[in-house]
Amino acid sequence: MATLWENYKITNAYDEMRYSDTQARPASQRLSTHLEHLGNAALDLRKSAAELAIMEMGVTFTVYSEEGNIDRAWPFDIIPRIIEYKEWVNVEIGLKQRLKALNCFINDVYNGQEIIKDGLVPAYIIESSTNFLAECKGFSPRHGVWANICGSDLVRDKDGQFYVLEDNLRVPSGVSYMIENRVITKKVFPELLQDLDVLPVDDYPAHLFEMLVSVAPEHVDNPRIAVLTPGIYNSAYFEHAFLAQQIGAELVEGDDLVVRDDDCVYMRTIKGMERVDVIYRRIDDKFLDPEVFRKDSVLGAKGLIRAWQAGNVSLVNAPGSGVADDKVVYAYVPEMIRYYLNEEPLLPNVPTYLCSDAEHLDYVLRHLPELVVKPANESGGYGMLVGPHATSDEIDLFRTLVKSNPRNYIAQPTLALSTCPTLCDNQLEPRHIDLRPFILQGGNSYVTAGGLTRVAMKKGSLVVNSSQGGGSKDTWVINTGL
Amino acid sequence: MLSRSAERLYWLGRYLERSENTARLLSVYMNLMFDLPMGLEISWRNLLTISGSEKLFFKSYDKPDEQHIMRFLLADTENPGSLFSSLNFARENIRTSRELMPDEAWQQVNEMYLLIKTKADSTSQRRGRILLLTEIMRGCQRFTGFLSGAMSQDDAFRFIKLGRNMERADMTTRILDIGSVLLAEDRSDKLRQYENTLWINVLKSLSALLMYRKHRRHRISSGDVLDYLIKDANFPRSVIHCISEVEACFKFLPGSDGLSDNLKELSTLLLAKDFYQMTPVRLHDLLDTIQIKLGVTNNQIAASWFLAPQQSMSQI
Repeated sequence: MATLWENYKITNAYDEMRYSDTQARPASQRLSTHLEHLGNAALDLRKSAAELAIMEMGVTFTVYSEEGNIDRAWPFDIIPRIIEYKEWVNVEIGLKQRLKALNCFINDVYNGQEIIKDGLVPAYIIESSTNFLAECKGFSPRHGVWANICGSDLVRDKDGQFYVLEDNLRVPSGVSYMIENRVITKKVFPELLQDLDVLPVDDYPAHLFEMLVSVAPEHVDNPRIAVLTPGIYNSAYFEHAFLAQQIGAELVEGDDLVVRDDDCVYMRTIKGMERVDVIYRRIDDKFLDPEVFRKDSVLGAKGLIRAWQAGNVSLVNAPGSGVADDKVVYAYVPEMIRYYLNEEPLLPNVPTYLCSDAEHLDYVLRHLPELVVKPANESGGYGMLVGPHATSDEIDLFRTLVKSNPRNYIAQPTLALSTCPTLCDNQLEPRHIDLRPFILQGGNSYVTAGGLTRVAMKKGSLVVNSSQGGGSKDTWVINTGL
Repeated sequence: MLSRSAERLYWLGRYLERSENTARLLSVYMNLMFDLPMGLEISWRNLLTISGSEKLFFKSYDKPDEQHIMRFLLADTENPGSLFSSLNFARENIRTSRELMPDEAWQQVNEMYLLIKTKADSTSQRRGRILLLTEIMRGCQRFTGFLSGAMSQDDAFRFIKLGRNMERADMTTRILDIGSVLLAEDRSDKLRQYENTLWINVLKSLSALLMYRKHRRHRISSGDVLDYLIKDANFPRSVIHCISEVEACFKFLPGSDGLSDNLKELSTLLLAKDFYQMTPVRLHDLLDTIQIKLGVTNNQIAASWFLAPQQSMSQI
């Protein structure tokens, strides 16, 4: 019988665990050997154990389908993804730097707009952004920070370099799965975690809590914190409940909240109305407050924006943060870092063609089959074109789409996302992965140790979103002391 | 605590108690039916009377035999009173209140739900059924254990306890209703012969046999069983005890003034009754009165602490 690694063939992408078909990277040496000793049969048993644990722990995400919403077990691959600590340190600093610059940018956009006056960013980017909220002009949240929680997607290209693919500044999700993945791994590979110096991930809720306290309205010593969820049918409801539990906050829905004439937010409790000071909202801007945005929204609470503007409640992330969660704005982040922080960017962007630029547009239209084309404001991997994997009909469709609304599209070269050994049909095979670390910024900054690794379970696929058949892996930042 | 959460915890308490009681009732009933001869006034059908679901049963089934009744009460998703439905509702309520209690509590309920979901088919066999029912009873007890060992006795805890005791009192009256059959003047000689066994099983289905023996210390009689299960101050499933537990919760909850009045009336009424000379009709009426009074308290609880109906999704 073949041993575990005998049939493992790396592709032309960077493999996170193997140098070559026969050789493991130094930080992965122990894991590689251990997996080999276990062999296929034992690995399969551990996989079943992991699936059982996920069911019993009730780690789920909700999928929208024609038959209604279904709670699905969280897809998890038991083979962890390893990152060396000495490499991670730089990524961590780079992510903090990036979020700081983005927050300076948002604050600038709603106040002086200096960056536009100085000609570094064209005005149309703001004016045409669907996520720009005029209601936020002239406002500045505590510490001048708008996006307190950010989930940035990182990918590693052929050269082994980490690139930032996008910054999710609206309501990024996935952090609960990062924590639960580790809980499961501790059950599945307890012996390994004991021998290796793997950085813990379960301190995230403590940092989240501290950050939320740090942004509470001034003079509130012991703020009452609530997590605002759209409700049980939301795909991330599990996460909302999980985080509320972990930080000891109330999990509220829109109709639990009332904003009174005093412009303060209250929740309906068994003792009557009680003040709420900080709301970690997991509802999109447009649904937050029917008084200001969508009148038909039943998810938010009437008057929330009024209370926020009066400084009586902190909303996290602040409304309007989404203005920087735009793939056109993304292209300017390296400039922002230089402009606001007077530093060189530590993490590179993926080269980005802005279709609004005539020269870029021309290039994009001529090279569609090689490029990835994305709408500027969508998330979740929807509405995008992966040129090399697309049919000629799909390419034609995108040619029309891009031409009709160039501002709404950007294009990037198709990266060869790195691969990681993944258990497929009882055998290890390379599958493409990305990484979503979570960055917090309030009074201080914090980055998770690693993050959520998402894996495209289908051979050759580059789509890692769980809503589209992606899985996930535990991420080990290992201190090898080398 | 949020009104929404209070409501969910109250119903969590009720549904879990209902699950445990249903599992015990079915399991005791199966044992009883092993012992009884054929052709007695007591049959599988009495289970439908106890759960008040005869009408619903005959909508989907024609023959009230063991197979059908067990399927209906255990695994039928169309029956909101089935064990499966109770666990499903309990799970929904705890899934949406996870931030209020220890993780193990959620996992315990989730495991029971998964168990009955995967094992529902094995319940056509008596053996499979017994195993499943035993697991559910144990699971419910583990849940109660987790809470008593790991949950602050705060308002959240009190709402679960409220639900549990309201449901418990209700279940005791339902099971005692079978006494109306056992006390009937025109009951057959054969039934009279098995009376003792039947009253023993009434006690068993409320986990009361041992405590009854310890505290009453004479042979089992109908009046004594009724008196014990309704009036005993210390037995956890007696109606009076459940009422006093509910009243105790009220004392600590905000804005509960006047809420105990209805229950005080009920206790006074019950304590004045003589159960040794009771006709089946009067027993049945009394049990009805208890259920109606409990219904009043249930509505008072909702009105005092839960979201107004237009603000919340309605519960069953």
